[in-house]
Amino acid sequence: MAPACPDDPLRIRFCGLDFANPVVLLSGCVGFGEEYTRVAGFSNRDVGAICLKGTTATARLGNAPHRIWETTGGMLNAIGLQNPGVEAVVRDILPTLDFSETRFIANVSGSTVEEYAEVTRRFDDSPIDAIEINISCPNVKEGGVAFGNDPEMSARVVAACRQQTSKPLITKLSPNQTDIQANARRCIEAGSDAFAVINTLQGMAVDLRTRRAILGNIQGGLSGPAIKPIALLKVYQVAQIARPHGIPIIGQGGIASAEDALEFLIAGASAVGVGTALFYDPLIVPRITAGIRAYLDAQGMRHVGELVGSIQALSGTPGAPHCP
Amino acid sequence: MTSAHRGTIFLETARIVAHHSPAPEQWLLTLEAPECARRAAPGQFVHLQCDPALPMRRPLSLLRVNPDQGWVEILYKVIGQGTRQLAQQQTGQALSVMGPIGQPFRPDPQRPRALLLGGGVGMPPMIFLADRLRRDPQAKPCVFLGSELPFPFPIRPSRVLIPGLPADAIGTLALLEDWGIPCRLSSARGQPGCHAGYVTDLARAYLTPLDAATRDQTALYACGPEPMLRAVAGLAREFDLPCQVSLEEFMACAVGGCAGCVVPIHTANGIAMKRVCVDGPVFPAAAVYPA
Repeated sequence: MAPACPDDPLRIRFCGLDFANPVVLLSGCVGFGEEYTRVAGFSNRDVGAICLKGTTATARLGNAPHRIWETTGGMLNAIGLQNPGVEAVVRDILPTLDFSETRFIANVSGSTVEEYAEVTRRFDDSPIDAIEINISCPNVKEGGVAFGNDPEMSARVVAACRQQTSKPLITKLSPNQTDIQANARRCIEAGSDAFAVINTLQGMAVDLRTRRAILGNIQGGLSGPAIKPIALLKVYQVAQIARPHGIPIIGQGGIASAEDALEFLIAGASAVGVGTALFYDPLIVPRITAGIRAYLDAQGMRHVGELVGSIQALSGTPGAPHCP
Repeated sequence: MTSAHRGTIFLETARIVAHHSPAPEQWLLTLEAPECARRAAPGQFVHLQCDPALPMRRPLSLLRVNPDQGWVEILYKVIGQGTRQLAQQQTGQALSVMGPIGQPFRPDPQRPRALLLGGGVGMPPMIFLADRLRRDPQAKPCVFLGSELPFPFPIRPSRVLIPGLPADAIGTLALLEDWGIPCRLSSARGQPGCHAGYVTDLARAYLTPLDAATRDQTALYACGPEPMLRAVAGLAREFDLPCQVSLEEFMACAVGGCAGCVVPIHTANGIAMKRVCVDGPVFPAAAVYPA
C-alpha cells in the first residue's frame, strides 16, 4: 500500500476512488496493466490509475500491420482493439493484477450498444475499480468513434452501460466531432460520472515508394505532443459543461511534461492522462508528479485540487473567461 | 501475483564510445550501457533514442556486447529519418537506451551444428549468436551472410573448406574466421569473393550433401528481409530442420504495452497476433510461415 497520507498534496479522490496522484496511464498504451513493469524503476504505485486495453465481448485480432507510424511531433496508430475478449480479461488477467498498487480502470468497447452493455455487465462483476466507455476509437469500422461523434448515440451507449453497473463510469470523448459540449451534456444526462478528454484524432500517412497508405487500416489515430493544443481546448470546453455538475475530467492528449500536465489541470482537468509520452520515456510519470509538486510549492498551494479549473480571466476582460 | 518479467529492461543514459561508418550507408555505434550489456542475449534488441527531437525511439538489434567492459555495439543502415538523425550523433554524446528487449535465439543443445543465416540489416544478431556459440565447446556454428551493400567488415579469402558450396563462394568475414567459425558471403550485386546469388543458395548447397546423422544435428537460425526469411523457412521444411527466425516491425513502446508491432503467428488455436517486441522478435519459422 502507498502510505496513507491525507496531507499529500497530490492524492486525490476521483469518482470516490483514491488516486495516489492525478496521473493516469492511458488505455491502449500499457496493455493490461503489467507490461511497463518490465522496465526497471517503473512502478504501478507511482501512478494514480491505469486504464486497461480496450475490451470487447469476444476476442479480436485487430488490424493488419503496419499499425504504427511516426509523424511530426507525434505518431499514428491503428491497432483495432486487439484483445482476448472480456471473459478472458476478467478470468485470466484481472487476478494477476495487484490492486494494492494502483486503481485499475477497464476500457469497454463494442460494435453495438448491446455489446457495450454486455462487456460492462461482465466488468461490473469483477474487482475492477471503474469503467471507461470508449466511444471514440477511430480504428474500427463499427462502434467506436461512429458512436462517439453523434451525441444521441453516445448517450444511448452511456445509458445502456449505466444500467449494468454502479461502478464509476468514465466516458472517453472524441475530438473528431463538431460540438463536444453537446455530446458531454447528453452523456451527463445519460449517467456518465466522469469524462476522459480526448481520444486520438483521425489521420493517415502515405508511403511515397509504393504510393500506398502506410497503415494496414489506411487511417489511424494521431497522438503525441502535436495534438496537445487541441486536447487542451477540448478539456477547457468540456469543463464548462461538466464542472457545474461536479463531473471530473481526465485531461489527455500529448502530455509529455509536468508543464503540459499543469496546463490541463488549470484548464479544468482533475486528473491527467499519459500515453504516447511513455513510449519515449517509460519513467516519465515520477518526473511529472515531481514537477507538479514543485509548482504547487512555488504557488503556495497546499493541494493539486486548488489548481483544477483555476484558469484566470484575461486582463481587461470583464467576468469569467467564456468558451469560444 | 505479479509477473516474473518485472525489472528486466533497463533505461540507461549511454555515452557514445565510438561511431563510424565502415561502409556506405552503414554505421557502427558503440554505447556504454553496462546494465544492458550484462544481460543481453543474441536476438535481443535495444530501443534507442536517435535524436531528442524525434517523438519515437527506434528498435535496433545488437551486434555484439561486452558484459565485462559494459558496452553494446549496434550495426545499422540509414533508412529513414530516425537512422538519418542517429548517424549525426557524435562520440561523447549520450543517448537514452532501453534494453535488452525480447526473446533471444535459443540454440538447441541437441543440434550443435548451427547454421546461421543473415541478410542485410539481419546480419548483426547472427554475428552476436556466432560470438556466443564460439564459447560453447560443443557447438559447431557455420555462418552465411548476404548483403546488397558492401560488407561493413573486412573480407578475405577463406582458409576453411566448407563442402558443397559453389566455386564463387571464396570470401569470408575475417572477424568470424578469426573466431574459428566457418563463414561465406553472398551478394546479388557481384561483390568480390561473394557468391553471386542469395544466402539461401549457400544454405541449400551446404545442406544437400549432409548425411542423415549430420542433418539430425543441424538447426537453422535466420534474420533478414521478409523474402529471405520465407525462403529459409521453406528450406527448413524441405530438409526437415528446426528453424528460428527474427522478425522486425514498426514499433512504439517495445515493452508489450501498445500492440503496435504485432505479426500474425500460427498457433494450435489458429492465428494469433503476437508482439514482435516481447513475444519475439525470435519466433519458430514454422509458426510464421506454415506449409
